[in-house]
Amino acid sequence: METHLTLTDVSWRHKIRDSTTWKPWAKKDGPGIHSINLEIRSGKILGLIGPNGAGKTTLMRTICGLYDCDGFDKSCSSRRKRIGYMPEQVRWEGRVSVKRALETISLMRDDDVDLDQVIKTVGLSSKSDHFLDDLSQGMRQRLSLACALLGNPKVLVMDEPLNGLDPLAQRAFCNLLKNLANKGVAIVISSHQVADLESLADRIALLHHGQLLIEGTLSNIRKKLDLESDSGIVEMICSVTGIEPDQVTLDLSNDDLLPFKQIGGEEE
Amino acid sequence: MSALALGWHIMRERLSAGRMLVIWPLLAIFILFSSWGLSDPKANLPAELVIDSAYDVMFASTAFIIFSATMGAVLISFDGISRDRLSGVLEIKLSQPIERSRYARALLIGHWAAIFVPVFLLNLASLIIIWYRLDDLPSFNELLVHTIATGLLLLWYTSLQLLASSWAKDMGSSIAVGLGVWMLFTLLWLVLTTVVAGLMGIGVENLNSSEYIRIEAIMDLFSPNGVYHHLLETPLQDVDRGISSIYPVLAAIMWSIIPMQLFIRRIERMIP
Repeated sequence: METHLTLTDVSWRHKIRDSTTWKPWAKKDGPGIHSINLEIRSGKILGLIGPNGAGKTTLMRTICGLYDCDGFDKSCSSRRKRIGYMPEQVRWEGRVSVKRALETISLMRDDDVDLDQVIKTVGLSSKSDHFLDDLSQGMRQRLSLACALLGNPKVLVMDEPLNGLDPLAQRAFCNLLKNLANKGVAIVISSHQVADLESLADRIALLHHGQLLIEGTLSNIRKKLDLESDSGIVEMICSVTGIEPDQVTLDLSNDDLLPFKQIGGEEE
Repeated sequence: MSALALGWHIMRERLSAGRMLVIWPLLAIFILFSSWGLSDPKANLPAELVIDSAYDVMFASTAFIIFSATMGAVLISFDGISRDRLSGVLEIKLSQPIERSRYARALLIGHWAAIFVPVFLLNLASLIIIWYRLDDLPSFNELLVHTIATGLLLLWYTSLQLLASSWAKDMGSSIAVGLGVWMLFTLLWLVLTTVVAGLMGIGVENLNSSEYIRIEAIMDLFSPNGVYHHLLETPLQDVDRGISSIYPVLAAIMWSIIPMQLFIRRIERMIP
């Protein structure tokens, strides 16, 4: 199985405002991801799961080359050529037609792109002349997917793509992803629900506080953590961190509660 | 894909935007009506304003271009980056394989052309008005200077506004910075010049004194509108503001390079 991308000790910290000083330009290291090791393989769907703020989006952005950091076997520009990226919930708007918007994005690639074919693939043929302002959220998601599919990418990175889609569209979306995987495209997809990825992902990577807690097939992960077959993300995190599920409250993100309050030796 | 081709696409997108329904009439009123009024032989103009030729009309009407076209540049470019950033589209654009510097140049070209094309077309139309009213046309050299200077002025405002748009976290901040810069250079620069002249011990009670004219000429080098006027004065024989003609050219080069390079570097390092 060909490996499209290898991540070795990938780390990235967001820069946040330093409120301890009066200087408005002063920044300090904020949350991020720490020492992530992953392999993204051809024809496989890798599901990234984790609670809010786990670092799923940050990891995806580093994979796509939006954040320039070390630890990849391919350069930033090389990754951008090979990867199609679909961010979470893009609010397409303006008095520009769907086709024109897609054409603008396609001009930013060197590949020859059959726009009509891409529009047809995502089921937007009947809307291709509609203005972006007139699209529903589901249609906007499809347009984001169309952007990711431009240039026949080797790797598709999708941040919570099922959000905002009705059940029928979700099923169609999953079918499309499976077809693409069968054609050899490597897919990285994120969700904060295990159930979303249960039938879709070949492997799961569980992220929490910017760290990769465990990776493998879902059944292996459950077996390793000694969990029930219907256990979800909360049980997994509790099992790895040693917190009792009954103690989990909305304070789940409270640093004091969890052992992963430190990233890279610096205070978060 | 070249920056020019992508810039052309961005220009078409911007020209078809709803706000052009406001900008076109605004430009038409300012540019065409000022040409019509200033080329009227019976017009009662201030004493220092002498209209003898077609270029004199074009020169005088640039005051109206400064008001309308630079505002148009602000209105077209204020959401050039911030809108995409807020909607999430910027993430998609920056994840494409195009070099960031090339994308930045395309943005500059597209937004600049979206304001320059209407202004250029209206300037051509104003030539017909001037010819009809005065039976005179500017020379090719004068027309070239006027067009290049106007193009540069719009480029400076476009770069500054795109830079503001790339810094701003929301569209309100972006337009506030753009309008602030526009007001500073268009409305407040005269006040600043007077204050500087006063601090330097130059009497401001006579604004036609050679000392004041010289300090005004120097201060103008630090304002895009001032440099624009310096460039427009190049074909005029009887204008001497006490500084060498090389300084406006150098200032024009600096105004072209610095904001553009800042913007390109900003896009290269931008995190959506």
